[in-house]
Amino acid sequence: MNIIEIKNLKKDYPLGKTIVPALRGVDLEVAEGEFMSIIGPSGSGKTTLLNVIGCIDQATAGSVKIAGSEITALDDRAVTDIRLHKIGFIFQTFNLIPVLDVLENIEFPLLLMKRPAAEARKRAEKLAAEVGLSEYVRHRPAELSGGQRQRVAIARALVTGPDIVLADEPTANLDSVTGASILELMREMNEVEKTTFVFSTHDAAVLKYARRIVRIKDGLIEKEPVAA
Amino acid sequence: MKLLLTIAWRNILRHKGKSLVIGAILFTGAFLMTLGNGVVSGMARGIEKNVINGFMGDIVVISAKQKSDNVLLNMMGTSIEPVTDYKLIKPALAASPLVERWLPAGKNMAMLLDENSDAPGFAYLLGVDFAEYRKMFPGNFEVIEGSYPAPGERALLIPSFARDEFYNYYNIWYLPEGGRLVKANLKKEALERLDTLVLSSSVVMMGMSGGMNTTSDIRFPVRGIVRYGALNQIFGHFCLVDIESYRECLGYFTAADMSAQVTKEEKALLSLEGGGLDSLFGGDELEAAAPAAPRRLTERSRAADPADGVYNAVFIKLKPGVPYKKAVKELNAALKAAGADARAVTWNKAAGPMGSMTLIIRSALFIFVLLLFSVAVIIIVNTLTMAAMERASEIGMMRAVGAQKPFIGGMFLGETAILSAVFGGAGILAGVLAVELIPLLKISTTNDMLQLLYGGDIFRPMLDLYGVALAVFQLGVVTVLAALYPMKVAAGITPLEAIARD
Repeated sequence: MNIIEIKNLKKDYPLGKTIVPALRGVDLEVAEGEFMSIIGPSGSGKTTLLNVIGCIDQATAGSVKIAGSEITALDDRAVTDIRLHKIGFIFQTFNLIPVLDVLENIEFPLLLMKRPAAEARKRAEKLAAEVGLSEYVRHRPAELSGGQRQRVAIARALVTGPDIVLADEPTANLDSVTGASILELMREMNEVEKTTFVFSTHDAAVLKYARRIVRIKDGLIEKEPVAA
Repeated sequence: MKLLLTIAWRNILRHKGKSLVIGAILFTGAFLMTLGNGVVSGMARGIEKNVINGFMGDIVVISAKQKSDNVLLNMMGTSIEPVTDYKLIKPALAASPLVERWLPAGKNMAMLLDENSDAPGFAYLLGVDFAEYRKMFPGNFEVIEGSYPAPGERALLIPSFARDEFYNYYNIWYLPEGGRLVKANLKKEALERLDTLVLSSSVVMMGMSGGMNTTSDIRFPVRGIVRYGALNQIFGHFCLVDIESYRECLGYFTAADMSAQVTKEEKALLSLEGGGLDSLFGGDELEAAAPAAPRRLTERSRAADPADGVYNAVFIKLKPGVPYKKAVKELNAALKAAGADARAVTWNKAAGPMGSMTLIIRSALFIFVLLLFSVAVIIIVNTLTMAAMERASEIGMMRAVGAQKPFIGGMFLGETAILSAVFGGAGILAGVLAVELIPLLKISTTNDMLQLLYGGDIFRPMLDLYGVALAVFQLGVVTVLAALYPMKVAAGITPLEAIARD
């Protein structure tokens, strides 16, 4: 079953009087449980594609279905709800809440969902252990290394049990060893949690971790498949 | 809510500098606002206390024909309509369970006449029964020269302020009959011209009553010089005179007139009409009459009930805690039922501009507080908006992981509310403390205008629960107003901000 279905997706950015097309008619299907990488050079449109899939940005034209629901015509409240319940995000710069500690950061989405505090805390502790941060649960982001912060971000992305985890260049700010460990972790979580992972990268070294690779260039998906 | 407040509180601690700036503004604003409320309440209460207890009571009954409710400090020349049926009013007041005490009085303006002066001077006359007046307003003034008139005595009491004014007009320094010059009470100018100072123990006054040409010029013996305990510059305009002399001066029916028997001949004279009246004015010669001195009470007038004559107002003190609205309503109903051609008004309406003073002072403070908080709101809005923009990436991330706009707005409202509660609350407490401490300093003044502001001779701000509640409410309004725009800015941050700033 496809968890993501995209048809003729277009996204334009106005730049003064000029319209810059970022996506020029993308068709893409992602099956449930995939571990897929979108690769392409800078400015190719991979971040824009992830943003539209993640309901962070709106499409100019075309259709995007997440778990069977069309998201392009929804209002802000509804797409926020989809982000909360169906999608997990991992950002390039980790983007944790600086005033919350590791456990609080991980359980944050669950508390937004109004889950009972005890249940949220239990789930957060489990995920903190799974990403190897049991000893750091009371640390705040400023007290963690880059790799540890990204582990927190992974745990937070998974804590709600989303349909999809989107990661935009998750290893870009990490050294190669740490980056590799993060990708290993993501892949492991993909296997354990059975969650679909879609991540973008322009690092060729990352490709070996992907089970499916989609190349994007000038706003269009290049011919598939590229088997990992 | 717990999550929201946790984040808000920790953000306050994280941005200590900004929090302290906002906190200091809130503290100062809340402190000044509370203190201001206390000062204004003190002033308002002082004015009320001095006017109600010292001059005109809570309620004033005036003639139904009286156009304006303002009967105390009305414009020059505007006379107060006479109340002719006090006999009907009195039992209505006596029967009212709301009324503690009352005093009927005449109040109008009189012209001071002096053969050596071209321009006349003016004074307000308050015609009262001196004994009843003392019971109604005990201790509102002290007699600084002469003595308080004996019951039933015809006499005039001149306030020191009015005496100074009369001196300015005529260069005459008034003394009580048989009194000696008290240098300590002399005006500076009078003291410098001591050798040529003209002294007098009587005043000739002519009543000024609009629409009437029957007033008399009366020579009043000065019995005493008085000084009001507070607001002497306002109350000091009013010379106190016995009610019968007042009536004679204003050309009103006196109690003696009312009790007089009218003979057949007098009745026939009164019934003359048309041409018959001309015969009364057959002579061409006018004979100048010397000002009549107030008569000592004759046996006939002594026997007369003063209540029979004409008044201009009845000052009423209500029993403690009686609401004015209720009192006015019930008294008006009682007056109507009694058939009296009169109406009851509250003291602040009857006192005219002085009655509006408390409202004016409150309005002034309101504007002051408004300006203060406008500045505070602008600074806080600016600081919080900057904070929202600096935290765009963090807020964008929260939005990206599923936080709705109200959550983000609530976070900023929470931060402002916590700062308001901590610093604004401390400001209110400090204000309450200051209001409690200031009277201990016993800041006093003899300046009449400052006394008006102090509400007495000692600066005594006061705060009741209403004042504190008002301060809390105002702080709440500031909090919400200050948070609104930053909330809007923060809620307007899109999840894209989390990506764009990567």
